[in-house]
Amino acid sequence: MRRISRIAAPVLALGLILAACGDDNSSSTDETTAAAEETTTADTTATADTTAAEGEAEAGAVDVASLGLIADGKLTVCTDAPYPPFEFQDETTNEWTGFDMDVVREIAAGIGEGLELAVTVQPFDGIWLAPKAGTCDMVASAMTITEERQANALFTDGYFDADQSLLVRADDKDALTSLEALAGKTIAVQTGTTGETYAQENAKDATLKSFDEPAAMFLALEGKQVDAILQDLPVNAERALKDDKTALTATFPTGEQYGFAVSQDNTALADALNAGIAELKSNGKYDEIYAKYFAK
Amino acid sequence: MSLSRRQRLRLVRGGVYAATVVALVLILLAVDWGALGGALFKWEIVRDQFPDILTNALRNTVIFTIFGFIGGLSLGLLLAIMRLSSVKPYRWFAATYIEVLRGIPLLVTLLILGFGIPIATGWQWPNPYIQGSVPLALVAGAYIAETVRAGIEAVPRGQMEAARSLGMSYTRAMATIIIPQAFRIIVPPLTNEFVLLIKDTSLISVLGVTASTLDLARFGRNGVNDTANATPLVVAGLVYLALTIPLTQLAAWMERRSKAGRR
Repeated sequence: MRRISRIAAPVLALGLILAACGDDNSSSTDETTAAAEETTTADTTATADTTAAEGEAEAGAVDVASLGLIADGKLTVCTDAPYPPFEFQDETTNEWTGFDMDVVREIAAGIGEGLELAVTVQPFDGIWLAPKAGTCDMVASAMTITEERQANALFTDGYFDADQSLLVRADDKDALTSLEALAGKTIAVQTGTTGETYAQENAKDATLKSFDEPAAMFLALEGKQVDAILQDLPVNAERALKDDKTALTATFPTGEQYGFAVSQDNTALADALNAGIAELKSNGKYDEIYAKYFAK
Repeated sequence: MSLSRRQRLRLVRGGVYAATVVALVLILLAVDWGALGGALFKWEIVRDQFPDILTNALRNTVIFTIFGFIGGLSLGLLLAIMRLSSVKPYRWFAATYIEVLRGIPLLVTLLILGFGIPIATGWQWPNPYIQGSVPLALVAGAYIAETVRAGIEAVPRGQMEAARSLGMSYTRAMATIIIPQAFRIIVPPLTNEFVLLIKDTSLISVLGVTASTLDLARFGRNGVNDTANATPLVVAGLVYLALTIPLTQLAAWMERRSKAGRR
């Protein structure tokens, strides 16, 4: 025992120091900014040139060094994957792809040439706290902007309208077409999502069963442990398309929007992302990516 | 280089102590205790966890653990006896079972049994407690079987021989002479199994939870979602400790006692 504690104590100490440093974002970023300033000036002028060349220099160039990235030259993104069609790994290239990933990659390319995407996968529970904890620079995880989440993270403008929807087994396709029809039945929701909140508020007569991930919900639906899945429309729609044992029977417009989240003190990154979203929407890239994943 | 071995040892040890003290002081200075408390132990949130965390989450964790342990112990006992049996197919069955169930992560077993069986057969688990406890018990049984087997093998051979020479049947000797002594030996490792089971119940929530079947870990994670603060996780961790520490202490005490008894 004594030997263990002698080794463990300094290790633990080191860990705590590192954790403590993580909190102290402002001071450490200042240092890196100063150090990185020289090296990135060349980059910045390059980006300025390209934006100017495209004739859309409204936001001006973004100074990559001012974004306080946790890894040099990389935009580290936290996401709860796989969550097709928003984030999943391409089967052949193993590259992270999907709507979110493509949008972020496109924005990153606009922020700075050679700014790479690094993906960190973690469960959705409290994922919006990750930038604050220093795990990543931003969250791109099909995440709805809510007031509660905004209390602990800085959200970008919405980049996607996310309605809720109901997926049922094909056999129940004519019977279970509304939340009223599900009274006394069991509805699957994903823990911590706005779908769960929506079900809690609007499906009071049904039993709610919450799961960690969509894959488990689809299994539970197939195994008849639940009668319906209430979650974001694109995910259910993709499933209904791929799997003819299931059917999409209802959509609920909620006015919800997905946003990216960054740490509250990193307004520079939020501004850069907002500029990127606006840029993508104006130059047609957004529609291109949208069409790739959601056939209209 | 005229230091003796002992002096060198002392020097190294002193260095390690000094480094530890410096590290501790640095931590105490570096940590923003107010922020830490606000992020991990906010009083209002701590208070909000009660009494639900006890009446609902703790209750469910205990139910899962007890079902899992009773099932696992019965199964483990049976498998251990099969492994030591002179009938070859029994031995093969027990050995295969133990290897397979010990080699697959509980999470995967839970998913396969919890979701796979209803999908494959159309049969439904009668309730979430059984759906969660049965896979837990099946896996625990494999581990406990090995513990029990070690315990039975640790009982001196002469005990069986003496019992048999008194005219007892094998079964009777096993049940009344060997297994009771084996249990005395395996109480500490069994307690460890029990503690492991308590913690493993936190995986059952992958099968889906309703408001009334939340276990402690899920309760804490839901709390994080509701409050956007990590305090509920810390509280859940403390409740786990309140459950496990008395048990490990009890095991340590029983171990001391049984050693004293055999002296």
